[in-house]
Amino acid sequence: MEEEILKVKNERENIIKTYSAKPIKNTYLDDLAQNSRDLQYVTIKEIIEETPDVKSFILIPDPTKETSELIPFKAGEYISLKMFIDNAYVTRAYSLSSNPKDSLKEYRITIKRVEKGLVSNIMLDEMKVGDGLTISKPVGEFGYNPIRDENNIIAIAGGSGITPFMSLAYEIENNYPQAELTVFYAVKTYDDIIFKKEIDHFNKKSKRVKFVVSLTREEKEGYLKGHFNKEMLEPYMKEFNTVLMCGPKTLYQDMNEILNEFNIPKKCVHFENFFIDYTPNIKDEYELKVILKNDFVITKCHSDETLLVAMEKAEIKAPSMCRVGICGFCKSILLEGKVKMIGSNMVSTLAENDYIHPCVTYPESDIVLRLDI
Amino acid sequence: MIYDYLIVGAGMGGLSAGLNLALHKKKTLILEKNDLPGGLVTTFKRGRFEFDTSLYDVYDYGDDVHVGLFQDILKKYEIEIETKVVPFNIRLKDLSTRSNYVIKGEIKDFLIELERLNEGSINSLREFMKITKEIHDALELLKDHEPINKEEYPNFYKYLEYDALSALKDLQMPEETINRMGFFWLELGSPLNKLSFIDFAIFMYKIIFKKDVVLLNNALDFSLKLAARFQELGGRLYYNSLVVSVTKKGKIYIVKTQDDLEYKAKHIIFNTSKRYAYSNILKEHEKEINKLENARSLSPNGVIVYLGLNRSIEELGLKNYKYYQFNTLNSEKNVGYMMNINHETFSAVVPNVVNPKASPKNTTILILKKIFFGDVFQNLNKSNYKSFKEEVAEDLITKFEEAFKIDIREFIEEIEVATPITIERYTNSINGSFYGYMAKGYDNPIHRLISYPDEEVKDFSFVGASSLFGANVDNAFYSGYYITEELLNKKEN
Repeated sequence: MEEEILKVKNERENIIKTYSAKPIKNTYLDDLAQNSRDLQYVTIKEIIEETPDVKSFILIPDPTKETSELIPFKAGEYISLKMFIDNAYVTRAYSLSSNPKDSLKEYRITIKRVEKGLVSNIMLDEMKVGDGLTISKPVGEFGYNPIRDENNIIAIAGGSGITPFMSLAYEIENNYPQAELTVFYAVKTYDDIIFKKEIDHFNKKSKRVKFVVSLTREEKEGYLKGHFNKEMLEPYMKEFNTVLMCGPKTLYQDMNEILNEFNIPKKCVHFENFFIDYTPNIKDEYELKVILKNDFVITKCHSDETLLVAMEKAEIKAPSMCRVGICGFCKSILLEGKVKMIGSNMVSTLAENDYIHPCVTYPESDIVLRLDI
Repeated sequence: MIYDYLIVGAGMGGLSAGLNLALHKKKTLILEKNDLPGGLVTTFKRGRFEFDTSLYDVYDYGDDVHVGLFQDILKKYEIEIETKVVPFNIRLKDLSTRSNYVIKGEIKDFLIELERLNEGSINSLREFMKITKEIHDALELLKDHEPINKEEYPNFYKYLEYDALSALKDLQMPEETINRMGFFWLELGSPLNKLSFIDFAIFMYKIIFKKDVVLLNNALDFSLKLAARFQELGGRLYYNSLVVSVTKKGKIYIVKTQDDLEYKAKHIIFNTSKRYAYSNILKEHEKEINKLENARSLSPNGVIVYLGLNRSIEELGLKNYKYYQFNTLNSEKNVGYMMNINHETFSAVVPNVVNPKASPKNTTILILKKIFFGDVFQNLNKSNYKSFKEEVAEDLITKFEEAFKIDIREFIEEIEVATPITIERYTNSINGSFYGYMAKGYDNPIHRLISYPDEEVKDFSFVGASSLFGANVDNAFYSGYYITEELLNKKEN
């Protein structure tokens, strides 16, 4: 090595020698990044019967399982509840419905009974105060963004779609003094109204947050009757509006027609994908082979059941979060077979490379999947 | 199965290392903690917009005639990608001199513009161009462990210990011209007075002689192509595989992942920083490594705001591919400004200007980026993290609109913000740094290269932006190639 180059090498060596041999510590940001874990362990502090088929669960951190504080969330975000039921690893996504201000200490999720639903029935019938649960960190892209959105927010909720907006009501009240929120909430009957006390409280006390409740199957004083229409919304519309929607697909279809009449640009309309809805033409049973990292599993799958559900039933711990095709957490590679994927929003390149979101994918033949778990 | 090589991380360095080893028929396994390859060279979707996380320009690629190193290695791996040469189209604003001008066209146009702005610069610029070529050629010899002839490469020796600022002054380049040409320092994350002249010259050589390109498909497409080719060559790649420990048993290393799986290999290549590997995986505290880590500085971290706008570039009046604002073009002074969270220096990229396919018809993607020196995030915590993201986005959007008199706010359809926390969680980069270790003092890439044979650790290698050649995709990618070539050659001898 030439003398000049050697000199540089020695110089570097000598400088390094003068430094301490103590192990280097994490930076402040390293700690912050490493502390926001993917899983949280919580205990049920309280169960509130909201309506005959809806219960709210107040969840608090479980310090015995290394969860001393919960991860703060922004209104609109959800958690994924992880359970092991009947020899199947299952998850369900629930919007957080509590005040984001309290989120270090507690979350509230609100669950409606789904007919024959695996998780909702267990949650409503078997869970009791003190029971432990495993949940994900809060995730999701739905909600109010002060930079993107207009100051006048029109939120439209159908049934249990009210949950993220309850949280949003608190957030607007606490954090965004420039914003006004009107929540349009449609339910079947008076008895089906969730969060009735809180709604009344906002309507009495708040200058910027208002709830307009409509009963679709009952007439009652002080409440609108029927599905929302142009006339009901008109008084609350301003020159510029942002519309947030959460509920069944039919709600979005109905509302889109109405919103067109108000000339609201597409960029001002956001909705949370809450449900997927698909019925296959033919009911059939196929073989599903899942190639894992060091193993493979062969099981059955049905044309009316997503590949994620088929994997869960086969005791495969398949990752999942949103279960509506959006978050991409369950992504797998389709090696063989024909499938029907409903409503996923994945980067085009992934689709071109045979990636699928099993949470919204139904089999149409025997299937071979690659899932690196 | 005992692998010849196990690579921790499928970033640019890891994939490139894997490709070269698989090409040489070595049994190679890559373990990636995320569910996609590429590290920061990836793409995410919001609404109808697909945002490339970090890769916009690819340096050292070139065209058919001037083949850059990056292109050359991709050819070795038999990977074809669609690219387009990017001419200069930069609007630059300097607050200290209140100047605001456009750099447009080829490198010669840039040099002519520098002369026009400051008559008498041209001789020093010509001399500088010649020297970049000489230094480049000398460095090629150094990489090949060949002697560097003093008569043939006098400037390599002359400037070996110079920082970029001192060397350009020595070349009689007027200070204004140094500052105007030197704005590129922002792409390297180290100011001219800290950056080795050798490394600055190499960077400029790539810009002058090997044109930079954009990828016509998205960044994830590129990463997936690399991963697919690696597997085609017989390499094995597992996702969702966070490596948590590496221990030795006889001559073999046992690698454990978070999901309790175990792999065996003879040699481990980390596509992570040394610091991450030693504190989080090896959990060993070797004296020599600790000293080195204590001696080094981390490069700046920062925030990136991704905007999807619902108008075309014409409607928005976004005419330039890149926009820069500097508090001052004097990089040394500017670093002082950049230690304050509210500083005014930022860069912006409008991919649609060079690639109309960057987003759907009549829409535009605008990406704003601001970097920070020192600890500006001390007040950040779990509770204010979400509102912090809104504040930084607000700040950057306002600054961009004011600096360039372009309205964007009312056209924002999608917005996403990446912070150092986002970067660190996704890539395990220490402190969420963008460029690995900072190029500074005797820790510029040239110094790391010179000391590489001595500092090498037995059975462990390091590739990626935190390794030999520093930041930027071409360097990270090249490190994977160079280091595996070294390993393969050593085995042969």
